[in-house]
Amino acid sequence: MQIRDTKKIYHQLKQARIKILAPLILLTVTSYFFFIWVIAFNPKFFGALIFDTNISIGIFLGFLLILLIFLITLIYVYLANKILEPLIKKIKKNA
Amino acid sequence: MHKFIILLGLLFSNLLFASTADVETNYTAIIMFILFVGVTLFITYWASKKTHTAKSFYTAGGNITGFQNGLAISGDFMSAASFLGISGLVYLSGFDGLIYSIGFLIGWPIILLLIAEPLRNLGKYSFSDVVSFRLKQKPIRILAACGSLSTVILYLIAQMVGAGKLIEILFGLPYYSAVMIVGGLMISYVTFGGMLATTWVQIIKAVLLLSGATLMAFLVLYQFEFNFNQFFSEAVNIHSKGENIMAPGGLISDPVSSISLGLALMFGTAGLPHILMRFFTVPDAIEARKSVVYATGFIGYFYILTFIIGFGAIILVSNNPEYLNDSGALIGNNNMAAIHLSHAVGGDILLGFISAVAFATILAVVSGLTLAGASAISHDLYANAFLTGKNNEKMEMKVSKLATIFLGVLAVFLGILFEEQNVAFMVGLAFAIAATTNFPILILSIYWKNLTTRGAVIGGSAGLFIAILLVILGPVVWVDIFGNNEAIFPYKYPALFSMIVTFVGIWFFSKTDKTKTSTVEKKLFESQYFRSQTGVGIDKPNAH
Repeated sequence: MQIRDTKKIYHQLKQARIKILAPLILLTVTSYFFFIWVIAFNPKFFGALIFDTNISIGIFLGFLLILLIFLITLIYVYLANKILEPLIKKIKKNA
Repeated sequence: MHKFIILLGLLFSNLLFASTADVETNYTAIIMFILFVGVTLFITYWASKKTHTAKSFYTAGGNITGFQNGLAISGDFMSAASFLGISGLVYLSGFDGLIYSIGFLIGWPIILLLIAEPLRNLGKYSFSDVVSFRLKQKPIRILAACGSLSTVILYLIAQMVGAGKLIEILFGLPYYSAVMIVGGLMISYVTFGGMLATTWVQIIKAVLLLSGATLMAFLVLYQFEFNFNQFFSEAVNIHSKGENIMAPGGLISDPVSSISLGLALMFGTAGLPHILMRFFTVPDAIEARKSVVYATGFIGYFYILTFIIGFGAIILVSNNPEYLNDSGALIGNNNMAAIHLSHAVGGDILLGFISAVAFATILAVVSGLTLAGASAISHDLYANAFLTGKNNEKMEMKVSKLATIFLGVLAVFLGILFEEQNVAFMVGLAFAIAATTNFPILILSIYWKNLTTRGAVIGGSAGLFIAILLVILGPVVWVDIFGNNEAIFPYKYPALFSMIVTFVGIWFFSKTDKTKTSTVEKKLFESQYFRSQTGVGIDKPNAH
């Protein structure tokens, strides 16, 4: 009974982890390569100023990307602690 | 220990009296620095009493909290090179500094999402533990140690040369004595205090550097009443490149280079041995996860500060004759922008503080590097490849201390040898090797069932070889250093090509591996994956 239980929870754990990881990894990689891509092909776009300020789009998006990177780590840890950790605890109890 | 203290005393009398004539001796800096060294040596003494076993030497007993580890990791990343180098790059060309900052930061989500937890769940002291979990110990350990040692040594040379130059300018000390002081202190931290002392030195320094940089950014923005609009327009008015500093400049010009650099930075971070080693200092995967969030937060915040500091230097330093030499360039070089700015906004006291912090930063970073290198020699090569895992902890400890002294002396020697060379490419090469060798074998051993010893060894070493070869044949070494007219390999950054070689090599030679051991290795994957995901069977921390 316990072994079958563990197997079932382990399966849930793997599924849950993929669901959390996939979008976050995708977001990390695409946002970074978008940034690099603009720098390589369209640097002028990043030089343009935002509305009537003296801050360029590139600097604004760069700061935003730093914030996004931090948020990604924060979101993952929140979800991992909330969704993955209870499953892991159950498996450890059975082991 | 006593002998070391006497030796250090001698080195310090050097520091106080051997100042070269052309630089003013900065007494605030020297006093603050001696204070830092005193505190850290006391910590080393305290740590040496707790460092008796291999586990405490490599992992500080596994009792560091997520928050402490986050600070220590961010300390490893906030080297003097990134503090002075990035603010100097911003000073020189504005926006381009941000490209590097973001590149250095983007590796962190990757580490968190894919590596941190399995690494902690499978390993004991180093990432080679993870790679050799189900593969053949000897060849895999040797390969991983080669990858680690080349990364560590390249990084050490870059830090040493930078340190010598910096201390020469800041303290008016001859290059040789500067490099030797760094080497001597680093050897004493690591041999006596192991990971515990190294971690606390790193934490103290991280706090000092973050506070110093925060204060500087605050004082700069204060002058503009925190109005970013006015701040940036002032910088554009003053800088010789005008509004171009708000846009990408010449750092990356073609798509191949941009992708290649991007890959090296993104995945190289996840293959740096001294960073990976820090994940074994926390008790479990939960704390490992936490430490990445703290580290990412601190590092990201720090890069925003360096950007403000760089722009601040454009406004407050670049047209102040006090900081310029006769030809109108910055005294020292562009990397001194942050140092001059500290004087411009906070006078001699802040200058002294920031100089001392820069020195402390170098010390802490080289200590972490040396410890990672020593563990590759003692734990991977000696204990597991040479003794093939026959447990002899006392000898392993001895070897690790000897390895530390050896690496320290080697670093001093190479630091002196490379004094006049351009070493900037070495950090890039270290990242390329980490992304090409360490990262692929680590990630595939965790997630790819069909990885075999043969595939990892052939693919990993082929990639390592190609990465080094392409850098030698590339524009930086072949043209700039060897003085040839044209580079044989046209790109500065090899990672794109060498990573393809590694991954294809590993895939092909694993897939075609029909040996008996390879079947066993594939069979072991399921149980390894279970442990990596759940932490059942994980190595426990020391009891208090």
